[in-house]
Amino acid sequence: MNPNWAEENLQTIRTLMERSAVYRRALAPIMLFNGVVGSAGGVCGWLMQIGSAWGFVLFWSGFAMVGLIGSFLLVRRQALKDAEPFWSPPTRRLTQAMLPLFVVGLVLGVGVLVAWPHPTVAAPPTDSIEIEELFWLPAVWVVLYGCAIHSAGFFTPRGLRLFGWLFVASGCGIFLWFCLRDSIELPWWTCHLLMGFFFGVLHLAYGAYLYLTKKGKNAA
Amino acid sequence: MNPEPFLQLDRVIHEKGRLAIMSMLAAAPELSFTELRNALTMTDGNLTTHIRALQQEGYISVAKSYQNNRPLTTCSLTPAGRKAFAEYINLLEKIIRQTRSK
Repeated sequence: MNPNWAEENLQTIRTLMERSAVYRRALAPIMLFNGVVGSAGGVCGWLMQIGSAWGFVLFWSGFAMVGLIGSFLLVRRQALKDAEPFWSPPTRRLTQAMLPLFVVGLVLGVGVLVAWPHPTVAAPPTDSIEIEELFWLPAVWVVLYGCAIHSAGFFTPRGLRLFGWLFVASGCGIFLWFCLRDSIELPWWTCHLLMGFFFGVLHLAYGAYLYLTKKGKNAA
Repeated sequence: MNPEPFLQLDRVIHEKGRLAIMSMLAAAPELSFTELRNALTMTDGNLTTHIRALQQEGYISVAKSYQNNRPLTTCSLTPAGRKAFAEYINLLEKIIRQTRSK
């Protein structure tokens, strides 16, 4: 008998226990879907010339809702297809890990809506520059989202944690740069560009990576 | 090498297929039959046989319900199963320590 059989058995047990607790359902479609939604948001925000703080928060909150609902529908579709419970333990753990940070992001958006006076008259795009003072908001949203993804990464394949770190590091960098900048003037649409890049382009890239490196069948 | 820990290993759990089922269930509150089958790439018949053996030993409990008008079978470890699995792991660790100390 192989003298290492006990170690091999333990390793097998560890691998199976990790696999049992890991969430793999529809990650690539979710990333691609959110990538498309995020990219569309960036382009629409720029084309629609949404330059007010209110407009920015409401516009992106709407896109976040579309992303969330779409993601849940994708998960549900796969669960139905595989005759598995939708609210499986890994799904529950993943949601619980992400929820607090999503709530903080939402509260932050509501705080901006409360703090900024509601525009009574639609201002022409050239005057709608409130958003320039809101550069910190996309950065903080990116950091919070990165933290949420990182937390979720403990219940998914390891790559998601690295993806979360990318958001956290980039968001912190943008935030610090915003705090330290002196006289650099940026056009209002830079906020939409940032949102579109992080919540759109990066998700598309990660989704494509997941599709290309996908092994076997997804499981909850 | 002292053969005692090896002789104490639970024969029901020690079988490869059943060990895999116990390991999966140890890390999750419950798993459906489909989830187990897909994760372990077992046939329906093979999985059913192993589940039945573990159930007879009192290590796992099986619940049958309906979801979206489709039958749903879920398995979970019983307290006795969790205890037996923990003991099995302890014995494996003991064997590893013995092997290393040689």
